[in-house]
Amino acid sequence: MLEVLALALTVFLVILSAAYARRFGIGKEILLAGTRALVQILILASIILILFDKPLFWSLLVLAVMAAIAGHTTYSRSGKLERGLPVAIVSIAAASLVLLIPFFLMGIFPLEARYIVPTGSILIGNAMNVSSLAIDRYKGEIKNRRSEVEAYLALGAKPELAAAVCLKQGILSALIPSIDNMKNLGIVWIPGVMTGMLLGGADPMEAASIQIAIFTSIFVAGMIASSLMLHYSTDSFFTKAAQLREEMD
Amino acid sequence: MNRVHLELKNVSKAVFRKVNNTSVRTQILGGLDLNVDKGELVTIMGASGSGKTTLLRLINRLSEIDSGSILLNGNDIRSHVPMELRRKIGMVFQVPVTFKGSVKDNLAFGINLWGGNTGIETLSRDAGIPEDLLDADAGQLSIGEKQRVCIARALANQPEILLLDEPTSSLDAQSAETIEKLLLDLQKERDLTILWVTHEKDQAERIGGRRLILKDGRLEEYHA
Repeated sequence: MLEVLALALTVFLVILSAAYARRFGIGKEILLAGTRALVQILILASIILILFDKPLFWSLLVLAVMAAIAGHTTYSRSGKLERGLPVAIVSIAAASLVLLIPFFLMGIFPLEARYIVPTGSILIGNAMNVSSLAIDRYKGEIKNRRSEVEAYLALGAKPELAAAVCLKQGILSALIPSIDNMKNLGIVWIPGVMTGMLLGGADPMEAASIQIAIFTSIFVAGMIASSLMLHYSTDSFFTKAAQLREEMD
Repeated sequence: MNRVHLELKNVSKAVFRKVNNTSVRTQILGGLDLNVDKGELVTIMGASGSGKTTLLRLINRLSEIDSGSILLNGNDIRSHVPMELRRKIGMVFQVPVTFKGSVKDNLAFGINLWGGNTGIETLSRDAGIPEDLLDADAGQLSIGEKQRVCIARALANQPEILLLDEPTSSLDAQSAETIEKLLLDLQKERDLTILWVTHEKDQAERIGGRRLILKDGRLEEYHA
């Protein structure tokens, strides 16, 4: 009964916001995004339900598919850089996996599908967002600072050194929203995991502890994924003769 | 006897230019030949868009030639590691770009990268940079001062050849003449081979050396 009411509220809000947003010309887009979100979350719930009875391998497979889709999204955001797809997938998957393992090694969560899939998906989703922002900004910085990058190259600097200032700016810009969120955690907003646990009747201190562990893991995963992504993307902006590609003009 | 330092043989290059939001292939250089002797000063003139900057970019391999060859001391520049080639062939750009940090940090860039025995004090003195500016933020300097820093920074690599892409075009007349004199003095002192691109005929007259003009993708002797 509870789920029917929650879904009914969702449908009502999507239709209402789409109707209101028509005047801005984005009504259709909101309707489509809302419908997609609803369908996708129901599919995910069904998959998790199925995974309850399956070996853990299947949960890891679901996470691998999520990382591949996340990698493709970041790759598209990068303007489909040469070798960008494998770099994006591996960066997001590796960073998320490294931060997921401690939760189960330390016994914070039991090694079960109901914990592996949601925690992994939060890490993957955020790593994707941060990496997309970072690569977009990195590319923009290289384009805008072409003369500076070429001044470095003209002095005999390697591409990694010539683009270092742009890379730093790309990572910094992508992490600013996460840093601001971290600063305001618990003051301006109560994040999703804690909200969910409190609504489920958990002890507030336990909910807060798990939330902060997840939150910092999300931050670190985003930082690692974006650093790996940008570092290994640098070569895509340059030719083998260490020339800044003409399409970066 | 003069030794050929730099040789361009039948060099061609096309670039893509945006015309009405469409990329159009434009032939900039076609079958260009040039021989430059060690320690020679060559002035290259030409109208806007004639390919003067492109020519310099090809020589220190910031851009790639489409066909032909460029030889440094008889060896194709493509046989050099690009980073090492660019240390040997320095370039000063039209608009000076300083790096984040102090003037000293900028001058130390090449020394930190390549080693070398030229001290920062010697470099700054040679480039006419007052000692009290060494700790100043390079981004806050005037354009003329920035250009001096860029010249000194290029010299820190102890290049054999210096490519100058209209280095005084963004300066006022007085600063331009000071930089001209500075570069000519440095050329004599260090026996530098210099290719100096300018669009000003008066400046080309003042600089002296061999004067060439870039026309229809090729170089011709210029007669005033």
